Amino acid sequence: MSARWRRFIPGSRWGLILIPFLWLLLFFAIPFLIALKISFAKAAIAMPPYTDILYWVDGFPVLKLRGENYLYLLGDSLYIKAYLSSLKIAVIATTFCLLIGYPMAYAISQMNPSTRNIALLLVILPSWTSFLIRIYAWVGILKPNGLINNFLMDIGLIDAPLKLLHTPIAVYIGIVYAYLPFMVLPLYTNLVKHDHRLLEAASDLGAKPWQAFLKVTLPLSKAGIIAGCMLVAIPVVGEFVIPEMLGGPDTLMIGRVLWQEFFNNRDWPVASAVAMVMLALLIVPIMIFHRAQSKEMEGRLS
Amino acid sequence: MTPSNSQAPAATPGRPDRRGVDDYLVIDTVRKEFDGFVAVDDVSINIRKGEIFALLGASGCGKSTLLRALAGFEKPTAGRIILAGQDLTSLPPYQRPVNMMFQSYALFPHMNVEQNIAFGLKQDGASKGDIEKRVAEMLTLVQMSKFAKRKPHQLSGGQQQRVALARSLAKSPKLLLLDEPMGALDKKLRSQMQLELVNIIETLGVTCVMVTHDQEEAMTMAHRIAVMEAGRIRQIGSPDEIYEQPNSRYTAEFIGSVNLFEGKIDKDEKDFVTINSPALPDPIFVAHGVTGFTGMDVAFALRPEKLRISKEEPPEPHNKAHGSIEDIAYFGSHSVYHVRLDRGSKVMCNFVNQQRWASEGFTWNDPVWVSWGDLEGVVLPS
Repeated sequence: MSARWRRFIPGSRWGLILIPFLWLLLFFAIPFLIALKISFAKAAIAMPPYTDILYWVDGFPVLKLRGENYLYLLGDSLYIKAYLSSLKIAVIATTFCLLIGYPMAYAISQMNPSTRNIALLLVILPSWTSFLIRIYAWVGILKPNGLINNFLMDIGLIDAPLKLLHTPIAVYIGIVYAYLPFMVLPLYTNLVKHDHRLLEAASDLGAKPWQAFLKVTLPLSKAGIIAGCMLVAIPVVGEFVIPEMLGGPDTLMIGRVLWQEFFNNRDWPVASAVAMVMLALLIVPIMIFHRAQSKEMEGRLS
Repeated sequence: MTPSNSQAPAATPGRPDRRGVDDYLVIDTVRKEFDGFVAVDDVSINIRKGEIFALLGASGCGKSTLLRALAGFEKPTAGRIILAGQDLTSLPPYQRPVNMMFQSYALFPHMNVEQNIAFGLKQDGASKGDIEKRVAEMLTLVQMSKFAKRKPHQLSGGQQQRVALARSLAKSPKLLLLDEPMGALDKKLRSQMQLELVNIIETLGVTCVMVTHDQEEAMTMAHRIAVMEAGRIRQIGSPDEIYEQPNSRYTAEFIGSVNLFEGKIDKDEKDFVTINSPALPDPIFVAHGVTGFTGMDVAFALRPEKLRISKEEPPEPHNKAHGSIEDIAYFGSHSVYHVRLDRGSKVMCNFVNQQRWASEGFTWNDPVWVSWGDLEGVVLPS
């Protein structure tokens, strides 16, 4: 076989790049384009339940993009409220994850290597069981005759059960619990690489331990903080299971709206438009995340 | 407490007497144990104001632990550290008037050069104007003004070292600590920076303790050197004292190269001794008295450059031996001849190539004589 032809035969290098590209094409690009297409169509009682956006008139192809689904989202305050509420929940939950996760990650990074691995395992271990079961377990803990209420009534602190389940608090508890590992792990990977001598240098130059933390450790862990916050905030915005199981009927999140449009109203075009707008909202933080990550990579190379 | 350099002998002819002691920094029987392992074993040193003092030793000898105890990163198990009359022993690092230049510098990567230098001043709560003035002064001192806005990773190793030095000097510490100051630099830059560093330190008159495993570095930079081994100090003295008058086989072999002849004192007179060594046909003649006794086991240490090499037998009656050249190492400026003596032992002999092509006078297997002056060797009791 001549060298000329060999160029077009995929080699091992090509194969390596091909696998992730194929993955992205099959599971991201194509579904995304399908959803994008549906978002510009019109609901119809048919199979599938929407109209085509490309059809033939007198032998010519006609592309008809309808913006009405997007206009509909803007016109109905429910959607805007749902987006805002999702963002609010994501921001608050991420803040709590950071406040709990940073001390955890810091403590783990300061342990000696053998205990460190056990601690990391304890962080990851819960995710070996099903996500759904873990959230369902919280129902058992929070419900009126659940663990918390029974305990508080047994010790006589309260007479009647507190309403915990199906409240915003329950949603926050569930989200913080479920997403904490995604905050702890990137923070830990960042903190464990810190050069201990920098803290010694700060101390040598007159910084008390807490000052050294604020001036050296905290700024140097910025990339880890951003990575952790993005890994928590981005999926939380679209979260569906936790508000559905732990939240009340008034817990408005975009994931639930999406579900309702898709399964209850069978309005695929509006559901697709909801998804597209959510994606557009998330692109900004994803870009920030990406920049922070590449900046850290740059720092590591130098 | 006895002055630390009392171990040096009383005035040897031709050597300046520098035994005046000023107790600016007193390290008083400092001991540091880690889980039963003794890293620093009751070390006492007095250091003068303005002195550059080097702790020299192989890795694991306890020199770094002692330095870290001075900085406050290690708390001594026992003993005291007193600087300018102030007991530092129990003070944390951030309260000590001591600053350290770290090995590989430990510059803050998220701060630029200016911010790094200003860090300590900010901790002291100096005013903004004062900080700016001091930082500018420091940048000029280390010739880094042009790089004030750079981040550490944009600087070369030598530049990083200048910044580290400026940072550790910015607070005008009473004591400056240098941890392997040249460890991260390549050889050529090293010799240049050694002299520059000494110039800066001497200009400011700051007292300085440095740690190094590199004997050349210690000899070039320090006014006095302490040779450490296994947590103890083997010898303290100026570079020439340590080199010319080692007090033990350990220091003689650790600093520079040396030829050692094991033997017994044969005649022990007031103004001379002779030593019988099985490696040499005739007794070694030493033209000064030593503290010892007839029959005592000693080692006679002779630096390679003290040995003369010649083809003809030297006219002197003693301190010579016959052998043949086994190996030649040519360094350009000088050659080192490895001479196998007739009795089987091997000696090293430096020969300065003062004339061009002088090295061609000797070649392998040439029969030669080596000889040395009556005062050029050192009798080592231990």
